[in-house]
Amino acid sequence: MKISFCTDLDKSVVVANCEKRGWLQVGPEDDWNVYWAGTQTCRSLFSVDSGYRMNDNQIINHFPNHYEISRKDLLVKNIKRYRRDLEKEGNIMAERGDSKYLHLDFIPVTFVLPADYNMFVEEYRKAPQSTWIMKPCGRSQGSGIFLINKLSKLKRWSRESKTPFQQQLTKESYVISKYIDNPLLIGGKKFDLRLYVLVTSFRPLKAYQFKLGFCRFCTVKYDSSVAELDNMYVHLTNVSVQKHGGEYNSLHGGKMSVQNLRLYLESTRGKQVTEKLFDQISWLIIHSLKAIAPVISTDRHCFECYGYDIIIDNKLKPWLIEVNASPSLTSTTANDRILKHKLLDNIFNIVVPPTGTPDVRWNKIPLPEALGDFELLIDEDLVSLNENGESGFSRNNSKWK
Amino acid sequence: MDELKDRSIHHTTIKICDDLRNSNQYQNLYEDIQKLVSTSSVRLDDFKSTLLRAMQETGLEADLRNKIYRWVKTKKKESNPYDAFFRKAQIHWDKRIHKSLNSMSSELGISLAKSRGNSEKEELLSKWNELSNFETDIHKYRPVYAPKDFLEVLLALKGPSKERDCHKWEFAQLPLKVKNLSELRNVYVEISRGDQILNSNSLSNNNQNFAIFEAERVALGEKILAKNYAPLAQEYLKRGCPKGLRARLWTLLLGAEVKSPQINYFETLKHNVLHYDLMIDKLIIKDINLTASNDDQYFVFEDVLYQVMLCFSRDSEILKQLPNQPAFMQVVLKGRPNTTENTLVFPPSGVIPFHGFTMYAAPFCYLFNNSTELYFVFRAFYLRYWHRLHRVCASSQGIVALCLQFEKLLQCYEPSLWNHFKKCRIHPLRVVIKWIMRAFSGHLPPEQLLALWDSILAYDSLEIVPLLAVVIVVFRKDNLMKVNTLANIEAVLADLSSIAVVPLLQMALMKDGTA
Repeated sequence: MKISFCTDLDKSVVVANCEKRGWLQVGPEDDWNVYWAGTQTCRSLFSVDSGYRMNDNQIINHFPNHYEISRKDLLVKNIKRYRRDLEKEGNIMAERGDSKYLHLDFIPVTFVLPADYNMFVEEYRKAPQSTWIMKPCGRSQGSGIFLINKLSKLKRWSRESKTPFQQQLTKESYVISKYIDNPLLIGGKKFDLRLYVLVTSFRPLKAYQFKLGFCRFCTVKYDSSVAELDNMYVHLTNVSVQKHGGEYNSLHGGKMSVQNLRLYLESTRGKQVTEKLFDQISWLIIHSLKAIAPVISTDRHCFECYGYDIIIDNKLKPWLIEVNASPSLTSTTANDRILKHKLLDNIFNIVVPPTGTPDVRWNKIPLPEALGDFELLIDEDLVSLNENGESGFSRNNSKWK
Repeated sequence: MDELKDRSIHHTTIKICDDLRNSNQYQNLYEDIQKLVSTSSVRLDDFKSTLLRAMQETGLEADLRNKIYRWVKTKKKESNPYDAFFRKAQIHWDKRIHKSLNSMSSELGISLAKSRGNSEKEELLSKWNELSNFETDIHKYRPVYAPKDFLEVLLALKGPSKERDCHKWEFAQLPLKVKNLSELRNVYVEISRGDQILNSNSLSNNNQNFAIFEAERVALGEKILAKNYAPLAQEYLKRGCPKGLRARLWTLLLGAEVKSPQINYFETLKHNVLHYDLMIDKLIIKDINLTASNDDQYFVFEDVLYQVMLCFSRDSEILKQLPNQPAFMQVVLKGRPNTTENTLVFPPSGVIPFHGFTMYAAPFCYLFNNSTELYFVFRAFYLRYWHRLHRVCASSQGIVALCLQFEKLLQCYEPSLWNHFKKCRIHPLRVVIKWIMRAFSGHLPPEQLLALWDSILAYDSLEIVPLLAVVIVVFRKDNLMKVNTLANIEAVLADLSSIAVVPLLQMALMKDGTA
C-alpha cells in the first residue's frame, strides 16, 4: 500500500522527511495517511461541523484540545487541579512542606489575570520586593510580555489598556508569574532550555523525550537591576525576540546543544547534581502530562510533539515555563536543520508501526531500535505489564510511577 | 661506575634544588615548611625524621614530590643533530611574521605599543567581565597567518642535506625519526590492548556495565586526588577520565593550582592589559571574533576568552620558559624617549597569534568557571604542548615531526588513498593541518576533544594527534576516493561531529596484521 501524506505547513523538513520515506504528497481533500497539520486545521477537522471521519489508517500530529497544555492559563489551571486531586487522595507526591508542594513545585507561582487578581495581590504582599512577569495567555514568541516590580505599575497598565479589567475578560487574559530572578548563568548570560517531547497517547500515557534539545541564550549579559527591567534582550530568550538584537549571530543563533550544557555542568558542578537536574526535568515533564491527561480528548489517530521551555535557576532547579504544541520547525542554523530533521525522522519512526502503514489498532509499543534519539519517558502499558510481573523490558519506568 | 652514577644523581639533586629555589612557588613551600617546623610535631632532638613524618602527614611531601615530577618533565630534553637547521628556519619565519606586523602597523597607521589613556583604561576596567562590549574597530585587521600559510613554510623546508632538489610535496626528505604503527602500539598500550576506557560518549553509555565501571573510575580518581599525587593522575588518565574530576586531575597533573601568588600574578597581567594598548590586542580580539564568537560550542564563553587571551599576551614568563626562546621584537612606547624603561618586548609573551589561536584555550571553558584557574591550566598546556604546534623545531613533539608522522602513516597503511591525493595534486596535509595545529580544538565536539586531550596528558605526547588525523581520513576513505577537488575533499572531512575518538583509535591500534 502506498502511503500518502498531507501538510499545510510549508516546511521543508516535513516534506523532505516524508518524501524520504517514499510517501506521496496529497491535498487535504484526498486520501491521506499522515497529516502534519497546523493546530487550526486540526481543530476544524475534529469539529462536529466538519463531519470528517478518519479511518484506521490515518494519523494526525495534534490532539483536538492541545490548548489544555499550550495555553499558559490552562496549563497552570490543570497543574493546580492535578496537585489538589492528588492531595485529596492523600498521595505522597502531593506532600507539602512550608506550605509549598515538595515534589510538584515545578512551575513558578502563577495567577490568571484578571480572574485571580485578588489572590495575586495577596501573594504579592508577602514579598513586595519581587519581580513578576506578565504574559498574554494566547500569544507566543515573547510578544506582549513585560516585567513589573511594583503593584502601581500593574494598575497603571490596566488603566492604560483602554478597557478596564472586567470588560477585558472576554478579550485577552494574562498570566502573571513570579519571575525567576536567579537564573543559572553561563558566561554571564541567561538561557532557557528547549526540549522536545512526543506523546503518542494520553490514556494510557505514552511519552518520549528527545535527547537533542538546545539552550537558547540571551545576547546581552544578565542584569537583574531595575534599570534593565524593560530591556527584553536581557530577560527573554525567545529566538524571535533575540533575532532583532544587534548582537544576534546567525551562525549559532544563540543556541548551544543540551549535550554541551551537560558536559559543562558535569565538569564544573559534578555528576550527581547534574544527573539530579536532568531527572527533575523528566519528572516535571511526566507530571505536566499527567496533569492534562484527564482533560485531553484522547483520540487514537493523534500524536503530538511538544516544545518544552524550561528555565534552570542557580540552585540547579528546573522550572517549567511553558509548553508549545507546535514548536518551530524553521531552522535558523545548520545545526538546527540537522536537529529538526532528526526530530521529524524519529517521530515518524515511533508513530508508524513496524509494518510501515499507520494503523490506530496497533498497540503503540515501538521497537527499541525505532526510538532513535528519543528516550522512553513513560508508557503506562509497560508499567502495568511490569506490575503484573509479565515482562521486564521497560528500562526506568518504575522511577516514574 | 657506581661512583659515576652517584655523582650524576648528586648533580641532578643540586640542579633540582637550585631550580626549585629559583621557582616562584618556592616562597610558598618554604613558608609552609617553616610553619610546620614551629609546630609541636617537629622536635629538635630528632629533627630530620620528625620533619619528614610531619611533611608526609600534612601533604607537603606529596607537594614536593609533584614539583620534582613536573621538573623532570620540563627538563626532558632530546637533541637532534639538525637542531640548528630547524632553529634557523624558525628564526627566518619569526622575522617574516615580525615584518608583516610592522607593515600592518604602518599601513593602518597604528603604533605597536602605547600607553592607554585614562578614559579608555576606565572603560576597559568597567567592562572587564563583558569585553565583547568593549567597542574597538577591528574590521581592518587580518590574522597574521593561517595554518595553511604555516604549512607552506613547512613544505618549503628543503632539509639540511641539500643534495636533492626536492619537489615541494613530501616531508620524507627531512631527517626526523617518527614512530610507525607498531611503535605507536607499544606506546599506547592500553588503547591497543582494548582495555575498557571511559570514553565519555554520553549518548551510548546507558548500560549497566558502564555505570559500574564509571563508579569504579570515579572512586579511584577521588582517591588519587586525595593523595594529591601527580604521577598517579597521569597514569589514571590512560583509562579515561570522569567529567566531574577532569578539571581537578588536570590541575594536579600540571601543577596549575591557583593560590594567592597566582591570583596576584593574574591581577598583574590584567593591570598590564589595562595599562598598555598593544596592537596584538586587536589581533586577539579579531581572532576570538572569527572563531569562538561564531562557534555554537564556544560563543557563550566569549567574554572569558577575551580576558584569558589578553592576559596571556602580557605574560613574560612564557617567553622565559619556552625552550629555544623565540626571536622577539622590542618596541618603544609611542611618544616616549627611546630608553630601556620605555622599551618592551612585543608582545611580552613573545607569542604572536595565528588564525585560530584562541582554540588552544577555548575548550578549558567547559572545565572552569573561574578565569584564573582556567588561565593557569591553559598556560601549562601551552608551555608543555601547544607551543610546539606552531613553531618549527626538530622535537619529536614538534609540528614538523607530527606532519611527517601523519604522512608516513598514511603512505604506509593506505597507499591507495595517498596515491589518490597525489593524483588530484592535493597534499593530504593541506586538509588536516588545521586539525593538527589546533590539536583538533574547534573541530571535534568538546566532549570528544577533552577525551583526546586526556590522552595527550596521559601519554605525555602529541603523537596521538596525527594518528587520529590519519584514522579519520582513512575512516572516510570511501567517500574521499569519490571526489577529486580540494573543495570536495574538505567537504567530506568538514563535519567531525559524529567522530568518537577512543573507539576510532582502538579500531586503528587494535587491528591485527599489516603492522
